[in-house]
Amino acid sequence: MINPKEYYFNQFQVDTPVLERLVQEALASGGSYCDLFFENTTYGSLLLRDGAVTSGGNHIDYGVGVRVLSGEKTGYAYSESTAWEDMLACARAASQIASAPVDVSPYGTRNPSRGAPNPAADRYPILQSWRGAPLSAFLPFLQKLEQAVRQRDTRIVKVMANLAFQVTDVLMFNSARELKWDTRPMGSVSVTAVFRQNGQSENKSTSRSFRQGAEMLTDALIEEIAAELAHGIDDRFAASRPQGGCMSVVMGAGASGILLHEAMGHAFEADFNRKGTSIFADKMGMQICPRGIQIIDDGTLAGNRGALNFDDEGIPGQKTYMVEDGVLTSYLHDRISAAHYGVRPTGNGRRESFRYAPIPRMRATYMESGSAKATDLIAEVSKGVFVDEFSNGQVQIGEGDFTFYVKSGYLIENGRLTRPVKDINIIGNGPEALAHIRGVADDLIVDSGAWTCGKEQSVPVSCGIPTVLIDGLTVGGE
Amino acid sequence: MSINKIAATLTQTEIDLAQYCLAFARQAGAQKVRITLSKSLMNLIGLLNGEVDKTAHALDRSLQLQLFVEGRYGAFSTNKLEKEGLEEFIREAIDTVKMLQEDSCRDLPAPERVAKDARTGRELGLYDPAYDTLTAEQRREMALASCHWPCGAIAEEGEYSDSVFDTLTIDSQGLYARHTETSFEIGYETTVEDAQGNHFSSYWWDATPLLKDLQWKDCAEIAYKRALAQVGVQDTTGGKYTVVVDTECASTLLTPVLNALGGFALQQKNSFLLESLGKQLFPEQLTILDLPRTAGETGCRLFDSEGVATREMPIIDKGVVKTYFLNTYIASKMGMAPTVEDATRVKVLPVGGYKTLEELLEATGDCILVTGFNGGNSNPVTGNFSYGIEGFLVRGGKRVHPVRELLITGNFLQLWNNLVATADDARPCLSKLIPSLAFANVDISA
Repeated sequence: MINPKEYYFNQFQVDTPVLERLVQEALASGGSYCDLFFENTTYGSLLLRDGAVTSGGNHIDYGVGVRVLSGEKTGYAYSESTAWEDMLACARAASQIASAPVDVSPYGTRNPSRGAPNPAADRYPILQSWRGAPLSAFLPFLQKLEQAVRQRDTRIVKVMANLAFQVTDVLMFNSARELKWDTRPMGSVSVTAVFRQNGQSENKSTSRSFRQGAEMLTDALIEEIAAELAHGIDDRFAASRPQGGCMSVVMGAGASGILLHEAMGHAFEADFNRKGTSIFADKMGMQICPRGIQIIDDGTLAGNRGALNFDDEGIPGQKTYMVEDGVLTSYLHDRISAAHYGVRPTGNGRRESFRYAPIPRMRATYMESGSAKATDLIAEVSKGVFVDEFSNGQVQIGEGDFTFYVKSGYLIENGRLTRPVKDINIIGNGPEALAHIRGVADDLIVDSGAWTCGKEQSVPVSCGIPTVLIDGLTVGGE
Repeated sequence: MSINKIAATLTQTEIDLAQYCLAFARQAGAQKVRITLSKSLMNLIGLLNGEVDKTAHALDRSLQLQLFVEGRYGAFSTNKLEKEGLEEFIREAIDTVKMLQEDSCRDLPAPERVAKDARTGRELGLYDPAYDTLTAEQRREMALASCHWPCGAIAEEGEYSDSVFDTLTIDSQGLYARHTETSFEIGYETTVEDAQGNHFSSYWWDATPLLKDLQWKDCAEIAYKRALAQVGVQDTTGGKYTVVVDTECASTLLTPVLNALGGFALQQKNSFLLESLGKQLFPEQLTILDLPRTAGETGCRLFDSEGVATREMPIIDKGVVKTYFLNTYIASKMGMAPTVEDATRVKVLPVGGYKTLEELLEATGDCILVTGFNGGNSNPVTGNFSYGIEGFLVRGGKRVHPVRELLITGNFLQLWNNLVATADDARPCLSKLIPSLAFANVDISA
């Protein structure tokens, strides 16, 4: 049986002397640190449309990225070939960032992972390989899913279901001679249905995504997706826009975690703070929200879309408390920002692929449960909205202004949910929203949707939150 | 050897490989095949506060195969372009397609519809030979010379990049269509701080296919001035406003309309413009053209992703919907004649005779000037939308103070029917030529 190291070396047709020589070449004209990131990703996809799975395919993405750091400056190049001459050209292109030779002293000397040869954690064991089965093996899942969705509601006129999966082998080596490898699976199922009633149309989409193998494709998942898709359609047809304005918002447990991602998470990414642009750049150690609140970015949730054994700089996946008892305690660091601030990297150095240099990115971002009851939080609101289904969000790092789009929710009047609302945007300011959290319920849910963060590069993330009451957000409306 | 010395455009060897793959796929059992071979080379210099902070060099190649096998269809791609590996990849791809369900609507476009005037890739004049002689040192000098630091800001981030993109699409019915273009881009984002410690950021950018046209010298300074202009934000009240949307961000309000005319949305009944063809759904003063064949202009193409020849045509003519965007597959499913896959170079014709944004503001008088959107979305089925906005309160045609944390909410059909006037100020670097737009009776929440 082939040992793991040999498996990854064979994938990329390299060995230890080749890796060491390549790093040496990359640092030949200077630079304080170099790392190599080898990637071999195989993708598969199937699309069901108009009752049949008539489109599908496989895709391969293979290459190596070479990064040279000179102080906090980055030189980066990549090659889609791991032939020596192509990698050498890459190393020399990346080395252009450095102007003079310096000692090879890597960042991350406080790096707790140093010397660890491979993952101690296994947060995404693959029980049934995506790679091992033909695409046709997954056709019945999509067909069954479509049937389950249609059976839930006779008003459905169209169903489109997509299964996408990938398996990524990565091999990392750096100038500290740290060698890491990992195999990362990801499976995502998304469904959109169009409903028609009395001449009016409505659509609804839902998704599930996990770092798992094909074992995730279960009957239970089908039922869960079908139930969620059909839920609330009567209200969707009946929904209208509320009168807009500044009001209290109760964020439902789960997907409302987009609030944390947009309003706080990005502003806590250390590159924005290192450059002085973030609204939180001078708030480390200060109380930024009410006592008792913990906000976390976590790479350790098994099977979660944001889970990582190692980040893309070889730092172990870990759980990072950004806010403890209301006080800002940590930014999210890659090696560059960790060295800048003199702290340990937090395992947030991530990249979309070998085509990109790593930068600080979130993983699974959530708030820990509080002690209130969700119904009590709603009961406290005389005029506001309850929201629980979202699409995209966005933030302006400098100003701290964030928005997220609400696909459905309810008006709150005198402590009770009254009429349904839909298609409204909510806007607020990160620091102000944090300060205006009035209550946190005891019902944390980490959402399992296919969230993707698009800061310069696309990376899979997840988010979660318990039911939270926030005052003073602006709700779009008539 | 430097990565810069690698051939930036497709070589004859690479083109021969694509032709070989096409023939091999047919021999291996595919009845029809389309192959797209792409190659791009990019150089980037990132700047932070007047110094080089990042450099990047990138060479990408990919081969995409679309296979039509026994009435079935599949799409595949790889960037591993060794001949032996490709043969195995193609054989496995064909086996995979055979396992999918049949779809009689899948086909290549008819040969008479495909482009025949894109043989060299340079017919549109979008390739700048200056790219071939540009050195690393020249790039670095230009990038550093573009900085506006120190300028009083707390951070100035800039990026200069240039790239060449070359793509060839061939199919088993004789299609041979190539597109080659260079791109030179400069962009800055600057953050300033007011006396209370509040941060305000803004950006400016330019992009052009020809280096000589790149406006790089004053980019950073414009970004700084735009950031400074945001200092002094004041609250404003919600209600019905006339809204002027700056050309820089106007595409946010048009893109969903174009998406709703896309075949994919129409066929899935996921569009608020179902059965709109030939109907007067927009105001008579609104005419939107697609001008994909304008030589020298960013984004122009002689063919779409199927190889179908693009053509100049009205999308909306005096308020009447004149076309859907239907590729071969979707057209067949809908039982309609195919057009092109998507709009290429959209141009909204000016309304009202106003040249500049300032003229438009003066004519509008009191309004909210929108200079940026912050998040938001729309419902593709109903056309309802809600977006975060930032900009300025305008009184008597003059900017009074900046505003932010506002939302505009409405329905696209109603919004466009409230179009009052436009400027004629769309910059050529924008992918869609949409001038600044003035709309009446827009709901704003504050």
